[in-house]
Amino acid sequence: MKIWTSEHIFNHPWETVTKAAMQKYPNPMNPSVFGVDVLDRQVDAEGRLHSSRLLSAEWGLPSIVKSLIGTTRTCTYIQEHSVVDPKEKLFELKSSNLTFTNMVSVDERLVYRPHPQDPEKTVLTQEALITVKGVSLSSYLEGLMASTISTNAGKGREAMEWVIRRLNTEIGELAATARGTIRTPMAAAVAEE
Amino acid sequence: MYYFAEQRNKMNSVGEGCTELKREYDQCFNRWFAEKFLKGDRSGDPCTEMFKKYQLCVQKAIKDKDIPIDGVEFMGPNKEKPES
Repeated sequence: MKIWTSEHIFNHPWETVTKAAMQKYPNPMNPSVFGVDVLDRQVDAEGRLHSSRLLSAEWGLPSIVKSLIGTTRTCTYIQEHSVVDPKEKLFELKSSNLTFTNMVSVDERLVYRPHPQDPEKTVLTQEALITVKGVSLSSYLEGLMASTISTNAGKGREAMEWVIRRLNTEIGELAATARGTIRTPMAAAVAEE
Repeated sequence: MYYFAEQRNKMNSVGEGCTELKREYDQCFNRWFAEKFLKGDRSGDPCTEMFKKYQLCVQKAIKDKDIPIDGVEFMGPNKEKPES
């Protein structure tokens, strides 16, 4: 068993980061995730939104691991539970793999909360628990997977920035469209004079 | 206000036939999430009907593909069983 943890600070407020995290996929940094489905979603009595999602991914295992665990089928499913608490400003996600569980389990937890000193920033804490089962060299493989997760976490943070930029662009485009629609009849009116 | 350009927000569903239903629902949800939920508006999301249609499709795909989902009550708080 191996535990991997990391912390990252986004220079965006919690609402922005949470919005982006909810629609993180697709993004160019994590092309392996090709499907996301919502399995269940409800708001509880305390006003927190619970979501259960199914992620379909091409598992980015190093080829040496693939050959060691003897699998060529690399499509994997991940189940994710998340809770968004808009009052406490807390967004927590837990995920674990549904396939290959006899060989390896990866349990991940991500928490997004506002920076305690700066509300314009968001702190992401991330941890992963990796357990490779039933193969020799398992601690070696766990180390290898931890470094893969580490790389992927970096990509995940880049992805978040990408999604935030995309959302911001869309707001800009919307404003431009709105201006455009107002301008068109005005231009027409001017042309008529 | 946030509107999400569909063409840049494409993600597939596990069920090939469910992708359109999924996108329709996602668009509705994302808008409600950003404009109401995160702003503390407690009014329910207006996407329930879309979600039900999408769910029926996804459940079938999950069954067909034999994906071992654990502990999910599919039909939400009212726990309706999808009797087929």
